[in-house]
Amino acid sequence: MDAILLSFGLAPLAAKIISMVIICVIVLLAFVTIGGILTLVERRIAGFMQSRLGPNRVGPQGALQWVADGVKLILKEDLIPDGADRVLFRIAPYFCLVGIFGTMVVFPWGQGVIVADLNVGLFYFISITALVVFGVLMAGWSSNNKWSLLGGMRAAAQIVSYEIPVGMSLLVPILISGTLSMGGIMAAQGWLPWDWMAFRSPFTVLSFLIFFIGSLAEANRTPFDLPEAESELVSGYCTEYTGFRYAVFFLSEWANLFVFGGLTTAVFLGGGNLPGVLEGYTILSVLVYLSKVAVIIFVVIWLRWTLPRFRIDQLMTLSWKYLLPGAFIAFLGQALYMLMTQQIPIVQSVVAVLMFLVFVFVLFRFAIRVRVNMSEQRIPVNSPASDVS
Amino acid sequence: MGTYFQNIKDGFTTAFEGMSISFATMFVRKETVQYPEVDISSNATIAEKYKGSLMGMPENYRGILGVDLSLCTACQICQKTCPIDCIVIDNVKCDKTKLSLEDGSPVLNRFTQKEALKTRTVTRFDINAAKCMYCGLCEKACPTGAIQHTKKFEMNRESQEELILRFVSDDEKATAEKRASAIEAEAVAKKAGKAKKEVEEKAKAKEKGAEE
Repeated sequence: MDAILLSFGLAPLAAKIISMVIICVIVLLAFVTIGGILTLVERRIAGFMQSRLGPNRVGPQGALQWVADGVKLILKEDLIPDGADRVLFRIAPYFCLVGIFGTMVVFPWGQGVIVADLNVGLFYFISITALVVFGVLMAGWSSNNKWSLLGGMRAAAQIVSYEIPVGMSLLVPILISGTLSMGGIMAAQGWLPWDWMAFRSPFTVLSFLIFFIGSLAEANRTPFDLPEAESELVSGYCTEYTGFRYAVFFLSEWANLFVFGGLTTAVFLGGGNLPGVLEGYTILSVLVYLSKVAVIIFVVIWLRWTLPRFRIDQLMTLSWKYLLPGAFIAFLGQALYMLMTQQIPIVQSVVAVLMFLVFVFVLFRFAIRVRVNMSEQRIPVNSPASDVS
Repeated sequence: MGTYFQNIKDGFTTAFEGMSISFATMFVRKETVQYPEVDISSNATIAEKYKGSLMGMPENYRGILGVDLSLCTACQICQKTCPIDCIVIDNVKCDKTKLSLEDGSPVLNRFTQKEALKTRTVTRFDINAAKCMYCGLCEKACPTGAIQHTKKFEMNRESQEELILRFVSDDEKATAEKRASAIEAEAVAKKAGKAKKEVEEKAKAKEKGAEE
């Protein structure tokens, strides 16, 4: 890009800045598109899980619904409530957006496809997403509305307290790979499932589960969506937002879903690693990565439409009494495990394969339950067979 | 401590079961009826696979008005009863007929218990379903039970014009009007014949008188 601009006779610095802006715009557009499409995907899946169809009118199978929603939101009147702190109210959504968008810097799209492979990539990732707390708290405070304030406070408390188990559980992959860079962590894994971080040992499984649950809470997803609990807080910190600012909030929420999936995949599920034979096919690597992200996103959406919302005290109990001790156990256990098996790599491989087999067994059990439930769902409601006795 | 680990176990097992249920639901048929495309007035299309109740509407349900023209005597009572004038009736003369049901038994006037006699026929019977307020007065006033609330409740159309129910087609109107004018002509002819006869008789009587 730089070279092309330089050939027009631009100064090197100007060329650099212009090319940066262009790349930023491209990434931002991709980001917006992903966020938008995810809203549609979520609504469709929610529909299917509730025996509905979901939005299917705009475009083929509702494929353009997200465009219509975006246009609608942008055309809405932009209201700022009386007594609101106007400056904070205006800039709050962009804090949320920047917090999520900033992760694109170290987002590992595949083998070698990464904007900047910082040597503190994972650390940067966790820190930049903390900006979301500022945005949410600002939005809650500046709206001059008790629901917004309560929502903002809840969100801040929730994100801050869940940062700890998430950070602790991320220590385990760092321990194994010995690096904080995203590329390094990805390279420390292989393409086979038992080479992934998640299945290395019982402790990595534990840390993976804790990371997953904690990240759900950090992303304000159900069952931890207390900041937006409709039944209690109207709409939480974005109660007073309308139009474009509201769209920005929601965009960052759904983009957060994608970012969450990306981080999980890169750190625990092998990222875009390919078998040795296919090494070097970047596009394939990106596709592998994105398909794993899609699975994670599906699981997150699926959880949302399955589990009911926690109460605020349950939320805090879960974080401090269950996840945090669990994360400590995982960290210490993994450290001891690595110390003990350092000399005998064969044990490590056997344990990893065993862990994967346990996972497959759970999946198998799950498939059986799904079969049973499907046959139960097919019984008509008003037939004698469905009578609860 | 016992409850601590029990909680963890419960958390995982219940989430496991719940997720299997929601995952199973994804692949079971959707209950959504895509309304304007699916005719919901007739249960037939839905009934095959529908899981819910298909009891339908109760017997005394006041749905969209319907008219059985074979019972109508064009008396216009319903038109006069209607509080908001949503019924419009035009009528012409027709052959005198006694109304009968399909099985041949005579139709009785509900109030006088006499056999209903049809002397006029409708050339226009319009009900504006957009205006109708479903009070049921027309149904109560109708002597033969020709106008009745159906159990139909679904009637979404694209314009107000399409909401006007027309029970008499243009063809029927044309034939009725033709017949009416024929009856009229017959009557005129009969009258003329009668008048002529009278004149002749008078003339005869005069002649007789003159002879005497």
